[in-house]
Amino acid sequence: MSGRTDGTAERRGFLRALGLAAAGATAAGAAAAQTRADSVPAGQARKENEQQRVAARYRETDHVKAYYRTNRYEH
Amino acid sequence: MARMKFLCDSDRCIECNACVTACKNEHEVPWGINRRRVVTINDGRPGERSISMACMHCTDAPCAAVCPVSCFYTTADAIVLHDKDLCIGCGYCFYACPFGAPQYPRVGNFGSRGKMDKCTFCAGGPQQDNTRAEYIQYGSNRIAEGKLPLCAEMCSTKALLAGDGEIIATIYRERVQRRGYGSGAWGWRTAYRETVSI
Repeated sequence: MSGRTDGTAERRGFLRALGLAAAGATAAGAAAAQTRADSVPAGQARKENEQQRVAARYRETDHVKAYYRTNRYEH
Repeated sequence: MARMKFLCDSDRCIECNACVTACKNEHEVPWGINRRRVVTINDGRPGERSISMACMHCTDAPCAAVCPVSCFYTTADAIVLHDKDLCIGCGYCFYACPFGAPQYPRVGNFGSRGKMDKCTFCAGGPQQDNTRAEYIQYGSNRIAEGKLPLCAEMCSTKALLAGDGEIIATIYRERVQRRGYGSGAWGWRTAYRETVSI
């Protein structure tokens, strides 16, 4: 009899733990969703205007020149 | 004005996938999305060829032509970028793209899609350069830092070329002359047709 009660308590404890784990996972998921690629809070967004967004940004810096030079090596 | 282009020298590509890994790591691309991938034809058979493929930043981008919300724009460097705040994830650009570049994050259990994600030529997006918001939405902006796309810079066999179209075409031409053969600049005729009027 007492063994049966223990079994029930154990089972309920397991189910409680399972429920808590699920709630924790949901909370973690919500936190992860904040850092998803297409979710930026509007307050953080500082958009460029039409001219800025199409402006040329490529510069032939020393870094870029080194890239072109090393790609010219034969092997 | 320099015109940015990608060129994959398929005679050099060894299908190591370092470009794919570098891209995913640099931009913290979400699960299920690959902005760049390596396609292999005749795998394991004579005539095997591998090509590293991503958005080619077409001269007359078909994705932009079909976008119902006009979220695409082309910069003065000829880099095709898009605004994720305008994108509705309709998927038209995926059907229009000859290279299969647009990707969509899965946001639900029933196949619902998020906003489109694609290669930005490491040039970010319409957020202010190198801000946290730009990084979260589009990844890092190496072009604004005076660098080139990491996939090309990381390529161990120098198969993937990126940068000023004139310069990388010259580099490829020199290689072809030296080795006496070349399988062609794959995708260039599709992406950068010179006859196209924009």
